Order: sequence, then C-alpha cells, then structure tokens
Amino acid sequence: MNIRVLAWKNLLRRKSRAVFTGLGIFLGIATFVAISSITSQMEGAVQDQLDRFGANIVVSPRTERLSLGFGDIALGGTEVAHSRLTMGDRERIASIHHKDRIRSIVPFLMTAVDASGKNVVWMGLPAADVAGARPWWKVRGGSELRRGEVLLGAEAAALLDKGPGGTVTAGNRLYRVAGVLQPTGEKEDGMVIADIADVQVLAKKSGAVTHFEVAALCKDCPVEDIVAQIGQALPGARVSAIRQVVESRKAAVDHLRRLGFGVSAIVLLIGGLMVLVTVMGGVQERTREIGVLRAVGFRKRSIFSLLFWETGWVSLISSLLGAGTGIAAAYLASPAFGIEHPAIVFSPAIFGAVVGFSLGLMGAVPPARRAAALSPTEAIRSL
Amino acid sequence: MEPIIRLKDVSMVYGVNGTRATALAGVSFDVRRGEYVVITGESGSGKSTLLTVLGGLQVPTGGAVRIGGADLSALPADGLADFRRETIGFVFQAYHLLPYLTARENVMVPMSPERISPREKASLAGELLAAVGLAGMEDRLPSQLSGGESQRVAIARALVHDPPVILADEPTGNLDSATGKQVLDLFSSLHARGKTVLMVTHNLSNLARATRSIRLRDGRIEDDRTRRPLTAKPLAV
Repeated sequence: MNIRVLAWKNLLRRKSRAVFTGLGIFLGIATFVAISSITSQMEGAVQDQLDRFGANIVVSPRTERLSLGFGDIALGGTEVAHSRLTMGDRERIASIHHKDRIRSIVPFLMTAVDASGKNVVWMGLPAADVAGARPWWKVRGGSELRRGEVLLGAEAAALLDKGPGGTVTAGNRLYRVAGVLQPTGEKEDGMVIADIADVQVLAKKSGAVTHFEVAALCKDCPVEDIVAQIGQALPGARVSAIRQVVESRKAAVDHLRRLGFGVSAIVLLIGGLMVLVTVMGGVQERTREIGVLRAVGFRKRSIFSLLFWETGWVSLISSLLGAGTGIAAAYLASPAFGIEHPAIVFSPAIFGAVVGFSLGLMGAVPPARRAAALSPTEAIRSL
Repeated sequence: MEPIIRLKDVSMVYGVNGTRATALAGVSFDVRRGEYVVITGESGSGKSTLLTVLGGLQVPTGGAVRIGGADLSALPADGLADFRRETIGFVFQAYHLLPYLTARENVMVPMSPERISPREKASLAGELLAAVGLAGMEDRLPSQLSGGESQRVAIARALVHDPPVILADEPTGNLDSATGKQVLDLFSSLHARGKTVLMVTHNLSNLARATRSIRLRDGRIEDDRTRRPLTAKPLAV
C-alpha cells in the first residue's frame, strides 16, 4: 500500500462525498466538451451548407445610372450597362489564378417573354446546373430539367394555370412543364425557369448572359482575391462577393461558441469551488485521522500528497466521465443543430479532460495545504 | 549508560483567550533503555500531555526533551515526523485504526510514504500481525474485530518501524479485564524483547508488570519509584 492506494480507499469509503466533489468538474467538462464539439461541427456544417448553396460571388455587367429630365422636370433614370456578358466569359472566369478554388460557374439569363399569352419573366440557366445552383428548390413533378422543358414558379404556375405534364407556349414553340416549384418566397416564384439556350432563343440574344453566379466558397477561401482576379479577367463586369452571408453565419457560430465557453467557465469555476469547499470540509472531519497519520510518522508532504491524490482521483475520473458524456451529448444533439453527419470530435474532449483534472488539483491545493499545516497538537487533541 | 529519555524541567502551559492552564510544571526524569514505566495520576494531572511531549507531537513551552540523543525542541516539523516514525510507537486507548482498511492495511499505513514494494510491506505486516496473535485475521476490517483484536492491530502498527520506545495511552481502557490482560501480556513481551515502554494508565493493576512507576499530580511528579530491578536485555537490532 502507498499514498495513492490509501487515497483511493478513502474515496471508496466516502462515495457520496467523492461524487459530490466531482460533480462540478463533471458538469463543467461535459458542458465544455459538448458545446465545443457542436460549435466546431457547426462551423463545418455552415461551411458545407454554404458550399452546397453555391454562389457567393455574383458577376454582372457594370452599370451606370443615368438621370433623365426636361428642364426642371425629373423623368426618372435608367441603368445603362457598359458592356454585356456572354457565355464566352465563363471560360475567362474559369481561367483565373485561383481557378482550383472555384466549384461552379453558372450563367443566368433573365428576360421577359410571353408564355401562353401571359407576360412573365424567364430565368435561363444550364439545365444540368439547376440542382447545384438552387439545391433548396423543392419541385412537384419531375425535378430534372431538360431542353424543351420548363419549371414553373408557384405563382407563375397559378398565373398560367399549368401543372406538371402541362405545356406552355412561347415564341411559337411548346415547352413541357417538367415540375412546379413549391413557394420559396423569392422572385423565382413568379418566373418560368428553362435551359439558358432555350431562353436565349426566346429572347433572341444568342450567347447572352445577364449574370454569373460563382461558387468559390470553401474553408479559408481567399474570396477577396478571387473577386479581384475575376474583376481583372472581366474589366467591364461588376464582381460582388456576398461575404456577409458567410460572416454572419460564422458570427452566429462564434457567438454560440463564446456563450458555450462562458457557461463552461462558470460551471468549471463552480466545480473548482465545490472541490475546494468539499475537500476543506473533509479536512475538518478528518482531523483525527490526520492526527493518527502524523503520530505514525507521516510528514507534512505525505499528508499533502494524500489529500492531493484523493482529489486527483476524483478530478481524473470526473473529467474523463465529463469528457465522455460531452462527446455523447454532442453526438446525440448534433442533428438538432443542423449537423447532418455528426462526428466524434476528440480534441475538445482531451483539452477538457486536462483542464478539469488541473482545475480539480488546483482546487485541492488550499485544503491539502491546510491539512498538511494542521499542527499535530491540534490533530492529536481529537484523539 | 546514557538514558534513552531525558526530561529536564519540562513545562507545558496552554493559553486560550487570556486564560492560562498549566498541564506540566517542571517535570524532570530520565528513563533508561529497556525500562517499563507506568505513569499514573488523576484526570487532568498531565499524563496525556506528558505522553504527547514524549512522542514529539507537542513541543513543550519550557524545558528540554531528549530522546535517543535527539533534542526534540531543536527538530523541525519533518524532523519530528521522522523521529516519531523511527523512534516512537504510539498505542492509543481508542485504537484509532482507519475503518476503511483491513488489519493488514492498517499495519501498513506507517509504511505508505516509503518506497518499499507492496509485497514487502504486506509481508512485514503479516509477520507483525502473527506476532501479536492475529494470524488469519489480516483481511478483516476493524468493524469485524473485537476490542482486544483491534488493540493488537494497533500494537502491530506501532511496531512497524521497530521503534525502541513504545508510548501507550490507556491501552486497556476500552477493554474488559481478560482482554486487557492479554494486551498487557503483549506489552510485557515487548518489554522482555528490550523495548522501552511508557504507559499512561488509570488502572493500578497495571503497575505489577512495570519496572518503575511515576505518579503525576497537577503537572508535577508526585511519586517516582522503581518497582523491580531492570532485567530486560537491550533489543538486538
């Protein structure tokens, strides 16, 4: 038997006290590990969603606003494009220095053309890119779009009184309605969506493009650099990064992470105080035992070591249990935080276990010092 | 031969909230190696205080205590701990065994801080328990032992470091007369093996085994007499 075993046996004797001592550390570490795991996975999930939701750079023609008036009478104004975009610009965007960071370049053509006698806006994009460019669309009917087919926005379908399998007439040509979008709350609810080549024919603008949506989002992507390089490749175009979307979502995750750290820190602090108070109380209760140990020749260092080991065992076990519980809680709670593929993240658990163990030991120092400093006279009086 | 214990004008005064209580007032005596000294006296006469001073658990407020050549008042706290471990074996009236440890483990407690193999510690504890007549009871908890058996475990614990001096505070105080006699037989055998025994007791029947008796009253020695000649051989180390 040595000091470690002596400490362990004493813990087993006072199980409820040991549980109470370790409870604060357990809760603190479990909270910390769970929140850290969830936030780190949320970051990945947010990034993944942004990647999947595609466009974070919009390339459109540079325009200038011209004011019209007659004398002192203002007649409004209009946007005048300096240049037009064409399908050929796709290759120029794809040739920038950071081309390997670009996931997709989707050309769009917007035009107003009659459809079955009703004036509606047509949105053209490559049929094959529909799913990648608008992954959140939910389509009633067939979800795949081919040339000669259209998807109708919910309002457009109502306006045209058409459903999946129906036909729409435009430019003396019949287009089969492949599906109807469920309402999105966006402008496309009132649009007819077709392959960009069909829309170019309808608009009589061969090769024309209204704007490009570029998906270049990935973790630590140099979006600003990509914007600058596209701007250089297309001098007449306005290139805008919708970075604020990324930043706002990252900020939300950061807020959650900070909140989690704050809560964990408070719980851990309370845990440390619980260790201190409980072990200090234990010292008071064990004055007699400490007196016996001093009488049989224990040095101060041995008494300190005994108390330290007792708390060390409690801290170690409660930290490991807390880390394990935190991992499990994070895994189970991940779907509720929008994480589709929960993973076990070990780094917060390792860090948390080390912090909990250290905190427990720190909390044990004052009572252990007090026990070691207990004069044999004081201890022996209780014998 | 230099005495193993020498007290010279030892006094112990407690002061609490301005009041002073004198537990020992100028106590002086020598104890030769191998003596069996019984210290008697009324409650409050200073017997237990004298024992704690002899054991290095308290430093007297006045006078000098030398045990085994060491001046206790000159030793630092760790030096006193080492002194207790190597020189003194304590036996208490209430045994003071650790309730969560078996008899063997209780005997091993004084060896806990030492870097000795667990097997060696257990072996020594087993030998000591056998020597006090508790062979086969090594794995019992104190709650499974009688008072006499518990006191034997406490005596075995006191002998772990083979100390030359045994200090016993009313070791039969919690025992019936038959069990008490067995425990006293154990002290007699230790004395016969050359240990110096100082026993505080109320029980005057314990005097019969002693080579010397000291009676305290109000912190002073009232009577100090040799009861029979010292015949024990010094302990062979």
